[in-house]
Amino acid sequence: MASADVTAVPATRTVEPEQYTGPRAKRRNNSLTWGIVGWVVGIVFFFPVLWMVLTSFKTEAEAYTNTPHIVFSPTLSQYKAVFSSGLWPYVANSAFATIVSTILVLLLATPCAFALSLRPVKKTRDVMFFFISTKMLPVVAAIIPIYIAARDLHLLDNIFTLVILYTAMNLPIAVWMMRSFFLEVPGELLEAAEMDGAPLRRTVVEVILPIVAPGLAATALICSIFSWNEFFFAVNLTATQAATVPVFLVGFISSEGLYFAQLCAAATVATLPVVLAGWIAQRQLVRGLSFGAIK
Amino acid sequence: MAEVTYDSATCIYPGAERPAVNALNLPIEDGEFVVMVGPSGCGKTTALRMLAGLEEIDDGSIRIDGKDMVGVPSRDRDIAMVFQNYALYPSKTVGENMGFALKMQGVDSGERARRVREAAKLLDLEEFLDRKPRNLSGGQRQRVAMGRAIVREPKVFCMDEPLSNLDAQLRVSTRTQIAELQRRLHVTTVYVTHDQVEAMTMGDRVAVMRLGQLQQFASPTDLYDHPANEFVASFIGSPSMNRFDGTLESDGVRVGQVLLRPSNRLLQGASGHDKLVVGIRPEHVSVSVSGDLTVKVALVEDLGSDSYIYGSLADEPDSSVIIRSGRDHPRPGEVIKVAVDTSHLHLFDAGSGERVGD
Amino acid sequence: MTAIAPPVAGTHRVRARSDERRRGWVRRAPLLPALVFTIIITQLPFVVTLYYSLESWSLVRPGSRHFVGFANYAQVFQDSQFRTTALNTVIMTVGTVFIAMVLGVLLALLLDRKFLGRGVVRTLLITPFLIMPVAAALLWKTTLFDPTFGIVNFIFRPFGIGKFDWIGSFPLGSVMIEMIWQWTPFMMLLVLAGLQSQPKDTLEAASCDGARPFAIFRELTLPHLRRYIELGVVLGAIYVVNDFDAVYMMTQGGPGISSANLPFYIYQRAFLGFQVGQAAAMGVVVVVATIIIATFALRLIFTSFSGTEQAA
Repeated sequence: MASADVTAVPATRTVEPEQYTGPRAKRRNNSLTWGIVGWVVGIVFFFPVLWMVLTSFKTEAEAYTNTPHIVFSPTLSQYKAVFSSGLWPYVANSAFATIVSTILVLLLATPCAFALSLRPVKKTRDVMFFFISTKMLPVVAAIIPIYIAARDLHLLDNIFTLVILYTAMNLPIAVWMMRSFFLEVPGELLEAAEMDGAPLRRTVVEVILPIVAPGLAATALICSIFSWNEFFFAVNLTATQAATVPVFLVGFISSEGLYFAQLCAAATVATLPVVLAGWIAQRQLVRGLSFGAIK
Repeated sequence: MAEVTYDSATCIYPGAERPAVNALNLPIEDGEFVVMVGPSGCGKTTALRMLAGLEEIDDGSIRIDGKDMVGVPSRDRDIAMVFQNYALYPSKTVGENMGFALKMQGVDSGERARRVREAAKLLDLEEFLDRKPRNLSGGQRQRVAMGRAIVREPKVFCMDEPLSNLDAQLRVSTRTQIAELQRRLHVTTVYVTHDQVEAMTMGDRVAVMRLGQLQQFASPTDLYDHPANEFVASFIGSPSMNRFDGTLESDGVRVGQVLLRPSNRLLQGASGHDKLVVGIRPEHVSVSVSGDLTVKVALVEDLGSDSYIYGSLADEPDSSVIIRSGRDHPRPGEVIKVAVDTSHLHLFDAGSGERVGD
Repeated sequence: MTAIAPPVAGTHRVRARSDERRRGWVRRAPLLPALVFTIIITQLPFVVTLYYSLESWSLVRPGSRHFVGFANYAQVFQDSQFRTTALNTVIMTVGTVFIAMVLGVLLALLLDRKFLGRGVVRTLLITPFLIMPVAAALLWKTTLFDPTFGIVNFIFRPFGIGKFDWIGSFPLGSVMIEMIWQWTPFMMLLVLAGLQSQPKDTLEAASCDGARPFAIFRELTLPHLRRYIELGVVLGAIYVVNDFDAVYMMTQGGPGISSANLPFYIYQRAFLGFQVGQAAAMGVVVVVATIIIATFALRLIFTSFSGTEQAA
């Protein structure tokens, strides 16, 4: 009768990682090399941004040196100059255009994407095709009539012009992204809600929206990034009242000449909101850029 | 074809409280079909993956054909693995899937095609050779996974619950196919399942595991007739063995009000263990007017040829009793008398769960 | 059991059809606002551009507007500068997308491995994509590529470079480097999505089947990544082709038009040269070319994407 000799009490051991020299330890050493490579690559890639921020804290004399200084005594004078050069109206315009257009985009895109995700019909593909094709049309081709129309309608230098254009610019992306998020909602949820007697609108609001909320956030983030950073429409269709931060940045250079440190301060201020938003909502950014494929 | 030996093999995940596999000893013979079975979390899959090289061997060793596999990567072990979800290569056709390992070995395409065709014929896959996995049914994919393993003529087959994703009927027919295939090819096979019916019907020997530890390694019959501890006794056999608390007395074993009288040999072997768990299988108790136990019937499962009576001891309403019976069986709510075949009594020490008496 | 009266055949069918139609409209209604909005804002201007392209019109001479038929188009095709900038656009787009994708794949492979601080490194690597394009272009032009004070020359000083004018000597290349820097994170994230969506057990199976790590990459990972790479290439190309900010900020298209791309060139014609008709004609040509190329590209994304939906 073959029976194994079973020890009476199972031995509980917690083994410290340092005690092992076996294959698991070897694998940990490998991850050290990859870690070094990863950090080096990360820092090299990030370096221009780092340099920009560093330079923004220098005086012009320190910025204009043949040998770049890494150690220096930081000063806030550049930022003071930037903030005292009338930055805030531009920020207000950018914020307004970004927020309002993003809200509009979500309001338009969400029902549209929901309808497109329900039951795939040939028309679905055609509509999706149409939306993405609008992004392929070069903006330059449309700028002339838009400029002339805006001029004739007295909508030049008007922040709402930008709002409308940004909405149209981001709508295709938003529809595409939101559709992919809606597709992830299991069909059974709709059926279960129907069986529970909920009317369609109620189902959508109370059942589905909470599930796609991260997707909404991701879409909002991507649209905000593109709106905030947009330059072409802003520079051609605005002058003084409705100019946005990118326009300010360019204007700042022309009026001040090419002062590195001040430039870097202005650039840092201009890019900071989007970079911070992207860092904080990194998971959403990743989801958005990969259309919901990575969680 | 090779011997496989687990020699105190241990696998601990960093930071875990107990080893996933704790000092496992399994001497497996060449050509043997060994099944590892146990509830989820028992370490059976980890033990299999240690053999395949997909988990670390932190202590002890595993030898294939006498060669120690510690530190040897999967690709050099000459084992073929069938995964639970089949793990077919999605971008390759069925033929390319099956020929992949041969391609990695450098076998030329003509020879590859020949061996793939042979295996395909064996598994009835010839018409699917040019299809991609996404165009196959579950059963077909399972066969491709098997085919991929067979083509290689490896030293060992590792199979990780290959039937669990099939529907019930397909599961039964595939089970017999796998067993036949293994008998024909005579390749050492280590097979993991949570289904004890698969274990009992397919294995030459079965290793029952629990919480990382081996409970018993024996033939199905031995496991059934002589379970080494209470866990094995309750795990093997369906419906499971009846177990009652009992005490050892000079002339028998007392269960509640009743004194059961097994053989003297059994009683002597159990001496020193006063508190016992008494086990008896459903087919070894029967409805009988002259029986010792009084049972109140809760429900009856009528399976056509047999029926199983589920109830509890009259004086212990929390206990559970299962009795095998025939077509003529009592109704729920009835109180019946049950006789115990004491020659098939199993005794386990109440504290350790170990088998005592024989 | 009560008997149920059979329905009258005619009315039942009619009721069903109008019910269907109403349900169809309910299903389509949510689509309409977005669709109508997009059509008005994007298609109308294009139609108007078509109309303008048939006129000779200079904004500085308001009275000079008149119909000239296809004369503008003839001029466009004879314009050697148009050809040059078109070529620049192609070089810029193909080069940027290709190199950004290769780098993206390498970085994604790096980020797929576990190491300490992997999350932080990912944050660092994503950042270039977030930087405002005009700011990024400025950054590269001044603090990096500047002949005297730029970091790039400082780094290469031991190699005897001295005060090399990168932007002056390699205008197209410099712009491309800046664009590659900005777009690599995007490619990286897409490819990373692909890598992480690969089922781990197929990789283990390949390992058991005797495949070394590079063979696994070549035989399994790369085919799996194909649809992600295709998506990245198509989306990246759409954006890079239309990129205006980088050229405007870094080189203003110069020296001459050596680094001008089509968007910048057309902008010059329209807003600096005020030649509406000609700019419009160029715009139409670019649109038509884009549509032709895009039709092929779109077929590609759709097969990729419907495949992804099936596999999910």
